[in-house]
Amino acid sequence: MSSRSPRSVSVAALPLVVVAALLVLPTALAAQFPTEPPPATELRPLPFPEVQEAQLSNGLRLLVVENHRLPIVSIRLSMRAGSREDPRGMEGLASMVGELMTKGTARRSAEEIAAEIEGVGGSISASAGSDFFSAFSTVLTENVDLGFDLLSDVLLNATYPESELELARTRMLSAIQVEKSSPGALAGRYFQKALYGDHPYGRQYTEESVEAYTQDAVREWASTYLKPEGSILVLAGDISLADAQEAAERYLGSWRGKSPSATYAAPSTAAPTKITLLHRPGSVQSNILVGNLAVRPIEDGTYHAAEVANKVLGGGADARLFMILREEKGWTYGSYSGLSTRKDGGYFQASAEVRTPVTDSSLVELMHQIRRMRVEAIPDSEMVAAKGYLVGSYPLTIQTPQQIASQVASAILLDRGIDFVRTYGQRVDAVTVRQAMAAARRVYRPDSAVVVVVGDGQALYDKLSAIAPVEIIDVEGEPLTPEDLTPKAAALELDLDQLVARRDSFRMLAQGNAVGVLVSEVMRDGNDVTINQTMSIAVMGMNQESNVTLSVAPVVMKTVDQSLSFQGNSAETHLVYEGGRVTGTSQTPQPTGEIKSLDIDAEVLDGVVDDNAIQALLPTFALAEGAEFTVNAFQADKGTTAALTLKVSGIEEITVPAGTFSTFKVEMTGGEQPVTMYVTQESPRRIVKIVPTGQPIELELVQ
Amino acid sequence: MRRVAYAVLAALAFGGSPIAAQGLAQYEMYTLPNGMRVILAEDHSAAVVTVNIWFNVGSANERLGRSGFAHLFEHMMFQGSANVGKGEHMQLVERAGGNMNGTTDEDRTAYFETMPSNRLNLALWLEADRMRSLAVTDENFENQRETVKEERRLGVDNQPYARAFTDGLTQPFDSTACFAYAHTVIGSMDDLDAAETEDVQRFFDLYYAPNNATLVLAGDFQPAEAKQLIQQYFGDLPRGNQPPSIECAVQYGTYGERAVFDDELANLPAVIAMYPIPQHKEADTRPLSLLSTILGQGESSRLNISMVREAKTALQAGAGAQSRRGYGLFLTFAIANQGTDPETLEEQLRAEVAKVVEEGVTEEELEKAKNNFRSGQIFSRQTSMGMSQALQHFAHYHDSIDEINTDLDGYMAVTVDDVKRVARTYLSDENSHIVVVVPKPAAGEEGGDR
Repeated sequence: MSSRSPRSVSVAALPLVVVAALLVLPTALAAQFPTEPPPATELRPLPFPEVQEAQLSNGLRLLVVENHRLPIVSIRLSMRAGSREDPRGMEGLASMVGELMTKGTARRSAEEIAAEIEGVGGSISASAGSDFFSAFSTVLTENVDLGFDLLSDVLLNATYPESELELARTRMLSAIQVEKSSPGALAGRYFQKALYGDHPYGRQYTEESVEAYTQDAVREWASTYLKPEGSILVLAGDISLADAQEAAERYLGSWRGKSPSATYAAPSTAAPTKITLLHRPGSVQSNILVGNLAVRPIEDGTYHAAEVANKVLGGGADARLFMILREEKGWTYGSYSGLSTRKDGGYFQASAEVRTPVTDSSLVELMHQIRRMRVEAIPDSEMVAAKGYLVGSYPLTIQTPQQIASQVASAILLDRGIDFVRTYGQRVDAVTVRQAMAAARRVYRPDSAVVVVVGDGQALYDKLSAIAPVEIIDVEGEPLTPEDLTPKAAALELDLDQLVARRDSFRMLAQGNAVGVLVSEVMRDGNDVTINQTMSIAVMGMNQESNVTLSVAPVVMKTVDQSLSFQGNSAETHLVYEGGRVTGTSQTPQPTGEIKSLDIDAEVLDGVVDDNAIQALLPTFALAEGAEFTVNAFQADKGTTAALTLKVSGIEEITVPAGTFSTFKVEMTGGEQPVTMYVTQESPRRIVKIVPTGQPIELELVQ
Repeated sequence: MRRVAYAVLAALAFGGSPIAAQGLAQYEMYTLPNGMRVILAEDHSAAVVTVNIWFNVGSANERLGRSGFAHLFEHMMFQGSANVGKGEHMQLVERAGGNMNGTTDEDRTAYFETMPSNRLNLALWLEADRMRSLAVTDENFENQRETVKEERRLGVDNQPYARAFTDGLTQPFDSTACFAYAHTVIGSMDDLDAAETEDVQRFFDLYYAPNNATLVLAGDFQPAEAKQLIQQYFGDLPRGNQPPSIECAVQYGTYGERAVFDDELANLPAVIAMYPIPQHKEADTRPLSLLSTILGQGESSRLNISMVREAKTALQAGAGAQSRRGYGLFLTFAIANQGTDPETLEEQLRAEVAKVVEEGVTEEELEKAKNNFRSGQIFSRQTSMGMSQALQHFAHYHDSIDEINTDLDGYMAVTVDDVKRVARTYLSDENSHIVVVVPKPAAGEEGGDR
């Protein structure tokens, strides 16, 4: 490169003899220490390791990247099927196959597989992506046979045990619940859906699809799609082509067949820009995703130009989006853009997580920066920096045999050819400004973009409507109208006979171990109700006391006082509800350990309850199987009202230390933490068990 | 030269020679006139280079009343220098496509960057600039002192069992005979409070001088160019005074005092049994390390099988050999299950150790431990970063860096008799020091769950 500092040039240009002399007499003659960071030097092209190939008798394509520096062999088997091949109604099934594949075979139990591979310090795993399915093992050279044996055993003889399926199903269901409280995950889910529509890439796993998996379906998917013809086996590290071929024939030779290849209509790309607003009541932040379908894996050789353009737009902490939205405007911690490649067409996506009041400004700025890429020539300095970064950081991703195998596999699977990895640096380096701009015009389509914003719809709807047409949905993807965004006054119908004075003690279990207690006391004097709660979790050094007063018939909140001590910190919340308003202060500990304080002065509509009162009031709801209630709950930690949904999803018999009870299973969603509560059918009803979703915690009634 | 050597090695490996011969580290070492050691390990298998600089200073070098300085410095080193603004170090590395970090322990302080190979100059320049001109100001000192206190508060004082596993591990060492290991790396907050900016400057001048530093380059670079850059950036740094040597005496077999930690955050008792062991470079380190794997690492380890799976007295049980440049510690530990008292835990931990002393271990157990050690070592040297750490380790913890290519053979040669012998020598009751963690309700907690 041309921009070396004069000082380093002068030294580098000295004849060798003088340099040698400098080394002997250093302090007197050495060049001065530069006061500016030295510029990047020319990157010596390092050839990508040679890739050797062979075809196996069963149609499997073998690729070997030989490297004898260390006695390590990475074995990677990739097949051309993934979640794209999930049966309709069983979305996520391919991932389940990956998860269960190493959990037992006709010859080995799950424990035996783990013990054998750990005994030699190796690893084995399998997983599904959207287009491909891979199984890998990494071992020392002397254990290559074991690696192959285990890999072929799980591939050919996996039993997909029922018990493991149930465990995995439970994990996946609770992961879905956790996703619903994660704005980033929600944004991604609805972005894919808006982008791809009914194409399999747009169909996502749901509670229903996970519930639909059966052992037969898992086995059938595996036996249909995991076939050798068209699949690839990449071996990287300390092994020769001949040895690799011999081992592959020995362990995988009996594996035969070809998987069916499904084709899907390409998703439509022409619709004008539309915003999907996912309403998360009370959210103080918004997650924005903007993008469009764009990137095809092979295209016309312009992928690298798109990559360079994207690096300039949003590919890191020195790219435009970051510099403008974060450094200049201070609207966000970070804003980035990326390209994603898929077999049936990939996409471009730009993202930002911003404060609610600057959501519309941020979206406008994002769109502006995207448009700029299409019309303005990229200055030389940005081109040089972008290319330098892409070319320079690429080698950090191909240091180990495992990394090399993974790069080779994806180049082949996406039909990019080995040259993609072999000449990556030269190709990126050759991109011109003109090519990068042409790529930007092809990739960025701000006028037919998909925009997803997850945030407080009430605060955002009007402002976003000024930018593009807005469609509002809730966490479940159900459409909402603008009127739905305003919490409506709704008197709660309560069965006050169920509200009796009592004291309930719960024990808190974390992964089966008792870690704390919750004591909940309800006192009632006519229509005046007082709820006292004490919770202590010794292992976290946490104690919380709260006192809530309200009157019932109709429900009117009065006061909330709460004090929390948490690992030596303390937080206090005091609220007074009066004359249609709630005032006071709230303090909430953050995951970082800081305490967030909020002055509260907000309007509350009739029927709004404090979220601390819901648990005590739940037994008085008209509980019945299938019943659903919407409760407008004031959340002191956010200072806003959210509409919570409580749904009786079934009748279950529950055993806790206090006894065995027939209960209504009530699922509460819409708040930060979804939770399931079990309420006795027998009157007076009481809660006997509380399970926060996705947490390893349960509360059980002791007495 | 190199290419030939590779071919020969590869042929040997295929001919069935010991696998340990493959992947030998190749390097050259030299010393600048100002005393800075330089180790160059050229490897062109990826266009990546790691710059890894260790200063021969850890908490073991600290004096009574001045603890916590070595670690504080790791923070200070990111606060800017003559040509690099506060926080700019990280930004420059990231924007160049690299990554970086720093770490401190008892025996050394390490700083490292892994970069695309054409940014070697940047990493060297960043390291040199802070060695030449670190901004030791009142303001930086004050705010890093607060950051360290916060680190102690969050990482140790507010985590269950963390005080026992940090403060507790200093118990076997006497503050007079071996202050070096009788205090923690993070140090005393009172000492940090009492320190003046001048103390910090003196510490920097003494321990961050070139004669107390070792610079390793591993990966894709041309030695001639690298040497020239190193000379230009580091060559004119003035040599510092010779730091005082570390004094540490340990007496074996004295029956240590039992230390009890009341832990408000723990809700189950725990026991740690510690046994002082020799310096890392001694041959006994190898059987002790393999024994710690057999006793307490992994699902099929002895402590896990006997206490967690069979007796179900422990929620978790394990063992480790923490070797250091000076005396190290062998330790076994267990966290109780509901209903197990600390006495039972201690008895069972001692019984498992006694069984090794009396009956030794099996050939099969030893073989598996060796497999794990060897594969762990090989996997760890796949990257330029891993290789640079290994070179620094041998340069600091062993008599000669050349042991990097022979140490593994020593591990492979360990016999079941060696294991039994070191167990008998070091893991006796009279050589043990016990730490007990007793759950204690926080003040104000009543009617708890216990």
